[in-house]
Amino acid sequence: MSEVIRIENLSKIYENGPLQVKALDQVSLNIEEGEFVAIMGASGSGKSTLMNIIGCLDRATEGEYLLDGINIKEKKDDELSHIRNANIGFVFQFFNLIARTSALRNVELPMIYAKLDRQERHQRALQLLEDVGLADRGHHLPNELSGGQKQRVAIARALANNPSILLADEPTGNLDSQSSVEIMEIFQRLNRERGTTVIVVTHEPDISQFAQRVLTFRDGKIIGDTRKPSNEKGGNSHAMD
Amino acid sequence: MLWIENVHLAISAIKANKLRSFLTMLGIIIGISSVISITSIGASAKGAVSDEFDSLGKAYMYLMINYSQLAEMYTDYSIMGDDLFSQEDVDALKERFPQDIRYATLYTYNNSETRVGRTTADLAIMGVAEGYSDYNKTIQMVYGRMINESDVKGSRDRIVVDVECARKLFGREDVVGEELPIQVEGDSRGFIIVGVYQMEETLSSQINAAMGMSSYSVYVPFSSMLSGEGVSSYIEIYGNPDKDVRQQGEAYANYMNRIKDKPEDFYMVETAEGQQDIINQVLGVLSVAIGAIAAISLLVGGIGIMNIMLVSVTERTREIGIRKSLGARTRDILTQFLIEAVILSVIGGIIGTMLGVGIAALGMSIAGVRVVVQPLVVVLAVLFSAGVGLFFGLFPARRAAKLDPIEALRYE
Repeated sequence: MSEVIRIENLSKIYENGPLQVKALDQVSLNIEEGEFVAIMGASGSGKSTLMNIIGCLDRATEGEYLLDGINIKEKKDDELSHIRNANIGFVFQFFNLIARTSALRNVELPMIYAKLDRQERHQRALQLLEDVGLADRGHHLPNELSGGQKQRVAIARALANNPSILLADEPTGNLDSQSSVEIMEIFQRLNRERGTTVIVVTHEPDISQFAQRVLTFRDGKIIGDTRKPSNEKGGNSHAMD
Repeated sequence: MLWIENVHLAISAIKANKLRSFLTMLGIIIGISSVISITSIGASAKGAVSDEFDSLGKAYMYLMINYSQLAEMYTDYSIMGDDLFSQEDVDALKERFPQDIRYATLYTYNNSETRVGRTTADLAIMGVAEGYSDYNKTIQMVYGRMINESDVKGSRDRIVVDVECARKLFGREDVVGEELPIQVEGDSRGFIIVGVYQMEETLSSQINAAMGMSSYSVYVPFSSMLSGEGVSSYIEIYGNPDKDVRQQGEAYANYMNRIKDKPEDFYMVETAEGQQDIINQVLGVLSVAIGAIAAISLLVGGIGIMNIMLVSVTERTREIGIRKSLGARTRDILTQFLIEAVILSVIGGIIGTMLGVGIAALGMSIAGVRVVVQPLVVVLAVLFSAGVGLFFGLFPARRAAKLDPIEALRYE
């Protein structure tokens, strides 16, 4: 398995007047292709900051971050936009679908920025919606969908350009337990069937049970990195019981 | 491809806030519609004025005392009988320029009321010489004849009336042989109608009609209208239309200075062309003044667009964050908001253009003048409104494009 993410001695320091806040403190971490990783930790532990850096939305103050072998530090803002578009699929806690825009067009959006032609992206968006079980909801607006359905649209959108990693920030934070299980099962299925690398940030231990590897953060440092035995890989659908 | 997407996006954003978008466009609509209506009215008026002068003939002019020059030369000057023109002067002028002067006569004009039975009418009486209708093309004889040589030579009380006038006074059109009582120099004299003409409608006749000035133009032999001394302040001339009219006029005025032994610039010639220039100048100044008002309203409209785009950027901060996280580059966001601003103002420009053409058409139809809409002005107006959108949209669009994706995503 090849390395998708390589992080070495990464620090993120926020200057708050005379005060320095170390959100990440000398973090080193490798994630291989096809892994399903949960990042755990209390709020303020640095997990969201790491998430933003991995997602190329933010830059580290010190240290190295390589995504698919690309050194992110050297890239300009517009190059980061391109990397986000091509290599990363985001799933957010608050779904972040664009209002007044149909599910189908929401899924098409990353492909529009990737300059795919109309016919191609339309076909692909339909296929992706079918994959998440929303084939008949393409023309619905976000406010006509339930929370679980919204999140499934968001997953379809995240997959639009075949990203190397799927980055989910508290994806079940706004869902009931039934929908949460459904969403996590979709992640598992994608991980198992397509070999998509999935990284889920969560503070709920139940959710982290779906992952094969759990990283635990406290005060900007990794304090735990546990892997499940390989024979249990992908077989955790009972975790929410 | 992204352009088409952006146009779709912009239209759906505008549709989502219909009232707000309309109110935003209002400044542009008012600005553009005033530009279009003013330029159309100006062009129509110019066209009508030049039509009118064309009907008079471009070689039409009159010789007169140069009053403004006189006022400069002398502090107190009273016009003497000798300064005015007599028939001898007209004859001398015709003799000197036999090739160029087609028609020349002492100018006589009078207003009088006439009465037939119990019906009265106001007449504008022009004194003419024979052959006048060969040069004034607005006169078309319907019955009888125009004033002829023997009418003029004999100073006969003969008159040619307008067909409308005939209808009003006699209730019929063919009134040749009837008599009209007219006041000349305090005396009431009976003029025999020898002809009835129909006048081509011109701007001034329509304006007069619209303002309720129902005075009818009638023609009599100029000789029948001359005062006791037989002099007039003007000589009416049709010169050679194939030669420079202004130069001809100067030659006539100079000749008149010489034969009447007057200082230089004592007499002058007013040409139809010169008059047209003055009217065009007035219209030009008017256009500039109203153009300035239109420019201010476009400026205000542009600021309105900037304001609403800033509101829109703030409202959609989160959307901008989402788009950036999905791979939108700075310029993708920039073009999205720029296109929205441009479309907003172009729609305003198109509505304004239609409104302006409508206002001009309405105004011109009341005045009874054909509307001249200049396609170039319409194209320029729409392009200009696009320019306004581009200019005033740039600042909000840049603000949107520069948003930090993390901040934008966190925005509630």
